[in-house]
Formats: sequence, structure tokens, C-alpha cells
Amino acid sequence: MNGAIFVLTLRQLLGKRRALSMIALAVLPVLAAVIFRLADTEMTPQRWTATHLLDGLVVTIVLPLMTLVFGTTALGMEIEDGTVVYLLSKPLRRFDVISSKLAAAWLPAAVLLALSTTISTTIALGGSNLSILTGFTVAIVLGSLVYSCVFLAVSVFTNHALIAGLIYVFLWEGAVTELFTGTRYVSVRQYTLGVADLIAETSRRTFHADLNGTAALVLMAIAGVVALALTVRRFSRFEMRTSG
Amino acid sequence: MTAKPPPPPTAAADITTPAVRLEGVSRWYGNVVAVNKISFSVGPGITGLLGPNGAGKSTILHMIAGFLKPSSGSVKVLGSPAWQNWQIYRRVGLVPEREAVYPFLTGYEFVLLSAQLHKLPDPHAAARQAIRLVDMEQAQARKTGGYSKGMKQRVKLAAALVHDPPLLLLDEPFNGTDPGQRLRMMALLREMAAAGRTIVFSSHILEEVERLSDNVLVIVAGRLAASGDFHAIRRLMTDHPHTFTLRSSDDRRLGAALIAEPSVIGLELTDGRLNVRTSDFGAFAHAAPRVAHENGVTIFELLPADRSLESVFSYLVSR
Repeated sequence: MNGAIFVLTLRQLLGKRRALSMIALAVLPVLAAVIFRLADTEMTPQRWTATHLLDGLVVTIVLPLMTLVFGTTALGMEIEDGTVVYLLSKPLRRFDVISSKLAAAWLPAAVLLALSTTISTTIALGGSNLSILTGFTVAIVLGSLVYSCVFLAVSVFTNHALIAGLIYVFLWEGAVTELFTGTRYVSVRQYTLGVADLIAETSRRTFHADLNGTAALVLMAIAGVVALALTVRRFSRFEMRTSG
Repeated sequence: MTAKPPPPPTAAADITTPAVRLEGVSRWYGNVVAVNKISFSVGPGITGLLGPNGAGKSTILHMIAGFLKPSSGSVKVLGSPAWQNWQIYRRVGLVPEREAVYPFLTGYEFVLLSAQLHKLPDPHAAARQAIRLVDMEQAQARKTGGYSKGMKQRVKLAAALVHDPPLLLLDEPFNGTDPGQRLRMMALLREMAAAGRTIVFSSHILEEVERLSDNVLVIVAGRLAASGDFHAIRRLMTDHPHTFTLRSSDDRRLGAALIAEPSVIGLELTDGRLNVRTSDFGAFAHAAPRVAHENGVTIFELLPADRSLESVFSYLVSR
């Protein structure tokens, strides 16, 4: 990893407007947890937290959106405006460039998601059943790493990374994997839920993932490594188009 | 620019291998041929890639810089293939054409970043030296997002020079610079070339190439139209028949007198203007005011009608 690229990318990603938007996104689950505590509902805090707060809101919306923004911007913005030439023209292994970009895209997402998950879960559960908190926090942090790998890859393969990422998140993960069971093996969301289920060890009534926990963990590792390898390969063969 | 450029690294002294060698290089995008079977070698000194916009200069520079894979042929830089060879950048400095720089970095941070990415032993000292070379000390603490185009060009040059490369590639480096900045940049590049470096730059401005280059490669429609000493190419260009448009106090009288001049090969009077074709614009430029004066005619306007580079280049290609 290259420290200069890591710091440069963090500065790119954490511009005032983008940072505020991502913080606002991270605050959503906290607000939802507060509303749940104030509302009069028949659902148990454990079940509401696992299925609605963490699965329904954090894993399905906040996690992919945040990693989509950071993951596609980390390198995609430089490709779009041409400043990537300053990285390409340096004597650096392409793996070092990509791993620095990945670390810079993952770190802010992981920190914000971990904080958001911890605070919102603690509020919603009222301090009980910490296994849900541990399970989902670890799974979400791991999921954010895999999503970052995937979205970084998307940004070097297409100029429309944000649109491609949104299609993946909302069409593929949100609709297709719900309709066709077999496609769940190609869903970072399902991997994340599987790992959360594995670590949280909740009862089936409280929360149950569609994917086996161990399989989810293995698939997560495979997806991350494949996405990273494809990104490095593509970036090593990256061509700068010219106007003349 | 008071600071002297440092002496070149020893690698630049290797004169047996050309710094840049292209052999039968073509590059196409789908059915469009951007560069067509070009071969040339470049050694120490300043070489200008001259050609109209869209001629293929940037494509050639990008292939030399290793940013584009040749569709056929080979591109070697300092003896090594340029494509997919990140090690060459230890010895190559690049100033890209695109204006974009990281707008949130100051000029100093931008050059320092380049020094850090080159893993120089003292990046701060190297950055300070490079900024001094391009005369940007006054503005180095300002964010590059607020720089003028000329300032961006200079800070990009500083970033390209920070590791003291023996080969410097510059894509339209004078775009947006004011005349003073241009002269200072040219003086710096000449000093660097005199110290043994190889500098290749592209331009569509004839005068820039004339002022700076020892060696010229004229690129037209993706082909190498001419190459060699600038003055020889310039002579070819001045042989090109030129047309001038004249407006005077008595166009008929002036036209009748000018037709007797040996440099004039034809003329016509249309829409109140006199169009004169000449085989030697240097001789015509001297003859026109003299003839006008002898005949008591006042010239109000004398404009070259076909001074676009495209017409000159088309002429070169057709030769």
C-alpha cells in the first residue's frame, strides 16, 4: 500500500459535501432506533432490530449506498477528470495503487457503518442481547470491504459506475435475489446477512439468513479477492484515450 | 527563472540507445486509424511533434508514455517497451495536455505528492527545487483549483521534473501560458536539453516549435509527413504557394503593378479585395509595400488567406 495515495484519496473522498451526506446516511438508522424506542410496538426489540433495523435498513440500504459512493469515487473520479494520469505515470506497482484506493474507500465507510450499527443497535435493544450487535457489526464491516472491492472494480470497467452500482444494489440484490433463490450466491448483501447470522447465533424466530454462515464467509472472501484481482488487472492495462 | 536545472542522471548520457524509438507503429480505434505506420527515433535535445489538432500527436505521445497500447509495431522508451512497464516512469517525466489537477491540493502539495510517489529520499527538498525551477514559489501555498491555466501548466511541469528525469514528454505544454511564462518555460527546457536530456513536446503552433525545437516531426492525419531539422521543413513550408488578401486605396493600380513582381504568380479582384497568389511569401512581403509606395497607393490591410496549419500540412503530405 502507498501512504501518499491513501491520504490523497481520503482527502478526495472526504470533501465537505460528500462527508456530510455520508454522515447523514449513517445517522438514519440511529433516528429509526430512537423512533422505535419512542413508539408503541408489539414486536420484540431483538426481532425489530435484526430484521427491520439491521437487515432492512443498514444492510439493504445504508451499507451498499455508502460503499457505492466511496468505492466508485475513490478511483472513478480521477478516471473521469483525467487526474489518474498522475498515478499512472509513477513508478508504482498497480497493485499498490489499487490497494491504497481500496483502503481509503473502505476505511471511512467501515468507521461510519460500525458507529451507526453500534449506536442504533444499542438504542434499539436497550442494552440487551449483545450477540446481535457483535454479529451484525462484524458482518457489516466485512460486507463493506467486499462491497468496496466490487464497486472499485466497477469504476475501472465502466464510466457509468454509479448507475451500474445502483442497478446491482436495487435491481439485482433488491429484486432478482428475492425472486430466484439460486442468485443469492451472487449477492454481497446475502453474504453479509449469512455472516451476521453465523456470529449472532440468534433464534430462527428473531433472525434467519438465507445463506449458510460458513458458505457466506467463503463466498465473501472469493468475491473480494476476485474483484480486487480484476481491478488490478484492468488498471494494469488501463488506456488513456486522447482527443488527437 | 534563476535556478539552474540539476545535471541529468547518468542514464541520459547513454547515447547508444535512442531515448524514444517507434517502429511501424499504428493505432486505431475501431475502424478509425489514429496513427498509421509511424517510425522514428528521438535522441537528446528538443524534438517537436507538430501537427494540426486531431492529427495524432497526443496519441503518439500517449503511446510513448505507455498509456496506450500500439495496435501494431513497437514503442521503446530508454530501451524498454513502453506499454505495461511502470518501471520506465522512474526516468520519464510527463506533462499531460489535460488541465485537470487535484483542485484541493496546493501547488506545493501537488509537486510534493509527485515526489512522494517517486519515493524520492527527500521529497520536500525535491518539491522545493522543482517549484523554484518553474518560478512558482509565490503561488505554491495556494490551492491549484484557483490557478490560471498557465499556472497549472507550470505546476504540472514542476511535478514532471521533480525526480529529474532524463526523458521529458510534454503534451501541448504552452497552452494557456502568457508570452512571458512561455519564454521562461522555453528557456528552462532549452537549458535542460543542453544538459543532455531528451525532451519531446507536441504543439499545433508553428512558432512554438520553431523557437524551441532542434528536431521536428510533422504529423498529419496520423502519418509522419516530414521529419528532421526545423529549418529544412520550414523551407518546404515556405515553398507552399500562399494567398494574401489586400485592401488598399487603389486595388486596380496596385494589382497591375504587383503582377510584374516575380514572386506573384496570380491575382484577382473580387468584392473590392485583391487576392494575390505568391510562390515566395518572404519576397512578396518585401515587395508589396515597396510597389505600393512607388505607385502612390496606401495599403489598408494585408492578410494571409491560407495561413492555417492545415493548408501547409496538406501541402507537405501531398509532396
